[in-house]
Amino acid sequence: MTISPALVVEKLVKTYAAKGKAPAVEAVRELSFSVEPGECFGLLGPNGAGKSTTLGCITTLVRPSSGRILVDGIDVVKRPLEARRRIAVVPQTRNLDRDLSVREVLTFHGRYFGLPPEERESRADRLMAELQIADKAAAKPATLSGGMQQRVMIARALMHDPRVLLLDEPTTGLDPQARRLLWETLQGLHRRGLTIILTTHYMEEADRLCQRLAIVDHGRILTHDTPANLKKSLPGGAILDLWARTPRPLTPLLIGLSGVVRAEKVESPDVADGTERLRLFVNAGDGLLDRVLSAVREAGADLDHVSLLAPSLEDVYIHLTGKELRE
Amino acid sequence: MTAFFALLRRDLLVAARNAVPLLMATLTQPVLVVLVFGNILPRLHLVASEFRTVMVPGLMSITMLMAGVQGVLIPLSIDLGGSREVDERLLAPISVLGVSIQKVVAGAIHAGTAGTLALPAMMLLMHQVAGVEVHPRWELLVPLVVLSGLLSAAFGLTLGTQVQPRYSGLLFAVVLGPLMLFGCAYYPWMGLAVLGPVKYLFLLNPLVFMSEAMRMSVTPDVPHMPAPLLLGGLLAFTALFVFLGTRAFARRTIL
Repeated sequence: MTISPALVVEKLVKTYAAKGKAPAVEAVRELSFSVEPGECFGLLGPNGAGKSTTLGCITTLVRPSSGRILVDGIDVVKRPLEARRRIAVVPQTRNLDRDLSVREVLTFHGRYFGLPPEERESRADRLMAELQIADKAAAKPATLSGGMQQRVMIARALMHDPRVLLLDEPTTGLDPQARRLLWETLQGLHRRGLTIILTTHYMEEADRLCQRLAIVDHGRILTHDTPANLKKSLPGGAILDLWARTPRPLTPLLIGLSGVVRAEKVESPDVADGTERLRLFVNAGDGLLDRVLSAVREAGADLDHVSLLAPSLEDVYIHLTGKELRE
Repeated sequence: MTAFFALLRRDLLVAARNAVPLLMATLTQPVLVVLVFGNILPRLHLVASEFRTVMVPGLMSITMLMAGVQGVLIPLSIDLGGSREVDERLLAPISVLGVSIQKVVAGAIHAGTAGTLALPAMMLLMHQVAGVEVHPRWELLVPLVVLSGLLSAAFGLTLGTQVQPRYSGLLFAVVLGPLMLFGCAYYPWMGLAVLGPVKYLFLLNPLVFMSEAMRMSVTPDVPHMPAPLLLGGLLAFTALFVFLGTRAFARRTIL
């Protein structure tokens, strides 16, 4: 017997209608992917790539223009109320009820989902202990730090025992310590078999948490696979990151060298005028570095920086889109 | 329905915790108006004593309108604001229509409570003054307060979903101010016969029906609008604002 996927997104399209002078926006264009039960799946992409819209469609808060979304086999457009019982959302903006205490935020969420009183209370106690917010039970959410509020939102999401937890850029704006704590929390939830879908624009986060990820840009999925396979998909075995002030383009010179599989110019705001930043996908060793350096010198260029790197997800991203992924 | 009542319970709990400022916001106006026009001016013989009787139901309706509009408008501006607190409600197992109707019901409870409390508050301030003919007919008052509360809250939902929060000051000055002055709160609609056909223009104002409804149930001795017209007006305006408000709410929340 095959287990049905926890989430199926099929040819999802969302076009926001034109409003006044603002033209219509095609936020998501024929996006498809599926997530297996117990998997942690990441949507990685820059701001405006369509990640949040996709999440909005899955959570029934955005109406798809076309396509189909199934959560646990339930069509979210046709049966939104049933779908909502199976999903939980940690949104990008902190939207905790400011008039209630932390404990009430959890118990009222339980009430909305019809949990009986005893279960509501015991579950709230358990989740507050697990997420280390028990000592803040009586506090108003606005008095808590960003990381703390984030954990309250996760506790709230888990109150109705969802099958799929969706997090929209959960660590954006958190300090490194809070971020690490959140990662540990999510890893713990994943180990217990919860299906997790998150969007992020942090490579490290995607690499650490996700078993599979989709790289999204301009409303489309460019590729999706495990982080390891994505890195393996890059040509050559290593990356040479090279910055040089140069009177003429270096790419044509370097691409002809033996051991250089591919050369790409990187657009990055850090790169000054007259300087080129190149990413060379190379088979390292066998005098490769010497060949590259002498070619650069012969071109009359001054080398600012060079480093040899193991391929990272960021390289995959740059390889696919030709630009850096950053906030 | 579980989610509906749970959301209502949440709203009532929060309102009960803020009871003092909420009551101050809604009762200050009628109490002060009564103090000046119902107590001081009649003693100075600057206002006819009948005015006091006419004013009582009118101030109840104004109180309900303000409480209903504020009871929906202010929470709504937080809900639809930057942090989108409304998403927590929209993610509950309840339809979008259910969420917006719940807001109207919560606002109506707020309005009804304020209107009902305004009556004894006003009577207390006028107790030394003779000639106030207030004889509440509870069997009429209770259903009409409920209906007027629903009308006010649905009006609040319509305004709150159409008008941006930064214009809410303007809203009170330009929309609610005129509605109150031309809402038959300080004079009975039947008396407008002196204006000729112009009196029918007043029927465009929902507050007129609320004022006349209170007049019928609180001061039966003062002539009031015929009951069928009054009830029809209340029901029609309630239906209109529920329709406009819930439709706009759905458009604002589900993209």
